[in-house]
Amino acid sequence: MTFELMPDIILSTLLLLMAWGALYAPTRHDAMALFVAFGLVVALIWARLGAPDLALAEAAIGAGLTGVLLLQAARLLPAESASTEHRPLWFRSSLLFLLVTTAMFASMILNNNSLQLAGSGISANVTADSASLPEMVAAAMGDSGVGHPVTAVLLNFRAWDTLLELLVLLLALTGVRQLYPGVNRNQQAVANTIEQTWPLLLAWARFLAPLLVLTGGYLLWRGADGAGGAFQAGAMLAAAAVILRLTGLLPGLSWSSLLLRLAVNIGALVFLSVALATLMFGDGWLVYPVQWAGALIVAIEVFATLSIAVTLSLLVVGEPEELSA
Amino acid sequence: MTYALVSLSVPLFCALLLTLAGPKLDSRHAGQIAIVCSALSLVAAWFALMQMAELNQTILLELGGWESGLAIRLRLNPLSSLLLLFTAFMHVLIGVYAAFSRQGVSRDFWPLSSFLHGSLAALWLSADLFNLYITLELLGLTAVAMVALAGKKAYKPAANYLILSLVASLFYLLGVALIYGRYGSLDVVLLSLQTQSDLLTRIALLIMTAGLMLKAALWPLHLWLPAAHANAPTAVSALLSGLVVKGPLFILFLLWSEVAPVDLAQQIGPVLAIAGMIALVAGGLSAMRSPYIKTLVAYSTVAQLGYAMMALGLLLTWQLPQMHVALWLFVIAHGLAKATLFLAAGEMQATLGTKRISGLRGATQTVPVAMFAFAVAGGSLIGLPPSGGFLAKWVLLQPLLSEPQNWPWAFGVLLGTLVSAAYIFRVVAISFDRARINPPDIRPDRVGHWLALLPALMVWGMALTGDWLIQLLAGSSV
Repeated sequence: MTFELMPDIILSTLLLLMAWGALYAPTRHDAMALFVAFGLVVALIWARLGAPDLALAEAAIGAGLTGVLLLQAARLLPAESASTEHRPLWFRSSLLFLLVTTAMFASMILNNNSLQLAGSGISANVTADSASLPEMVAAAMGDSGVGHPVTAVLLNFRAWDTLLELLVLLLALTGVRQLYPGVNRNQQAVANTIEQTWPLLLAWARFLAPLLVLTGGYLLWRGADGAGGAFQAGAMLAAAAVILRLTGLLPGLSWSSLLLRLAVNIGALVFLSVALATLMFGDGWLVYPVQWAGALIVAIEVFATLSIAVTLSLLVVGEPEELSA
Repeated sequence: MTYALVSLSVPLFCALLLTLAGPKLDSRHAGQIAIVCSALSLVAAWFALMQMAELNQTILLELGGWESGLAIRLRLNPLSSLLLLFTAFMHVLIGVYAAFSRQGVSRDFWPLSSFLHGSLAALWLSADLFNLYITLELLGLTAVAMVALAGKKAYKPAANYLILSLVASLFYLLGVALIYGRYGSLDVVLLSLQTQSDLLTRIALLIMTAGLMLKAALWPLHLWLPAAHANAPTAVSALLSGLVVKGPLFILFLLWSEVAPVDLAQQIGPVLAIAGMIALVAGGLSAMRSPYIKTLVAYSTVAQLGYAMMALGLLLTWQLPQMHVALWLFVIAHGLAKATLFLAAGEMQATLGTKRISGLRGATQTVPVAMFAFAVAGGSLIGLPPSGGFLAKWVLLQPLLSEPQNWPWAFGVLLGTLVSAAYIFRVVAISFDRARINPPDIRPDRVGHWLALLPALMVWGMALTGDWLIQLLAGSSV
């Protein structure tokens, strides 16, 4: 065993431990804390694997925002009951699902007379004639308009995926909004009174929020040439908004305000408009003109960051009266 | 290809604009805008289909103009253009019903249905495994949000649906990751040239199949479907059963008919076909025993998907292009017929004030149009000539009947027909019980009933274009 292997082994063991702990923790709060820790370990592993973009996104969204979301949800849930005597439908269905999957596996694997080892022969006959994908990315970087391969893939080579991902985020918010049909307007004043927060927390939030905004802006700008980009920057801004909102420093928003709806939509709207514009006036759907590619990507990223930040913060700390129409 | 892209982007744009307009726009105007967008998309899809019928070849588009492998590839062939047209058509029909029937829908239905339209169009056009995953996610989230439109009683089915849908998506994604790790490519066309039948490929394909079967509610992973579809608002149920479950089915078809090596496909084929046969009988029996109208219709979706699964299984087993025609004819005929069944069921439920089938006594007298629509659509599900259901079943049965060793499969199809007839006739028989009429609570909504009948008339009209449809689909076989 070499010395380089040690961190990997420690991280993997830690990951499994955290996962087990999050699943089987005795109380809800332990489970949530372990889940956040799990997210951080995943982020460390991504960093260790040389994927800083993923590490940033995982730490900000997977550990940070999801952790807050869990805590918020736990606040609204009734006190924990000792046991659940009645297994819900989804449990039975997923059990059946697992059984079927296992059965199918067994049948297929047993069918396979020549039990080849999975790892053997990987990419032996595959990449013989054509270049591998990373090489193709490297070769095309010159025309992509940005200097960072991940950004180039996300916003140029596979921009269509990213456009649809923005829609996924928007839909998640639309879905959550369905749970709050027409909350009584009169309750708004009551709901807006915020519980007393500790003075220390207030001071800390006042200090932290500008730093987060700054980091977010840096990540966005840096995204063109290094690790970072719209999703990471958006998550940072959302984190700042969440902190301010939880300490009561930021007033509640309202879905009936056009500005909010515009902020939520603008990323996807701009992206789709660019796609349509390239279809009508350019060389085809999402074909950026080479000299404009960099500017277009930055523009899309700026608007996408705004949308992602607002959507994420609404998803995490949006109160019913902010989301209902 | 431009027409197809227009047909795809119009509903997406419309959905964004409707979300942006938010509460400023009342439900009526939002509905009109959404219907106009669906109609525009329908026209564009029609042009795309005409182009395809002329060219009769596949058009591949590398997005962004990058070389194949690097770019996401969109593919337009007769099948995908026909599905584009079908999706837009269903959205227009159901949109018109939702806008003009008395039952109506809440305002948020419109952006969601436009999102659904756009994500389905993106799915039909995509030829990239990861891009398909994102469209699948879009589809699942939209469907869950639409189920939740029904209000508090639907939250539980919606939450179950969400969890299962996410699990299924993750299974699919895991398979995609394994495939990418093994072959370094996500493109369906490139992968079809590369795949080998080794252990890793088998595992990846099986994981993806399990996820997709869960998403498409194919037997035995259909448990979530009746609750989710029966609890959704009427127009949403029609969209979910008619369109949404067909998306994962399409990916399953792509996966096994193109990505998987032929020998693996031949191994999985009989399994799928047998599961389809069981689905026909088991789903049909559940539908027959169901005390509620909408649950009956939802279980009939499980049963009818059995035909599609059987056609897919036999297609893979024998590598017979004719089955491909049968599969997609089934999908289209079932979509139209199921739209009518759900709309008619919802209308009858509202008018007669009962969810129970026993409450339909005398429905032929009290709500004649809705009951007629139900029976007509049911006729297509059973496969009475000359409906679209008959067309599909005929194409499926021809190769089965011609060879004596295939007769057991034909027997399965006929058994399924018998069960379908049983559950449809059960409803029809009760509705003729005019001796003990269940009086309607409210005056029947004539417009809604006639609009519910519309898709059923379309499915019977399918027979008129049958020859053309068969030729078109046969041209796009892979």
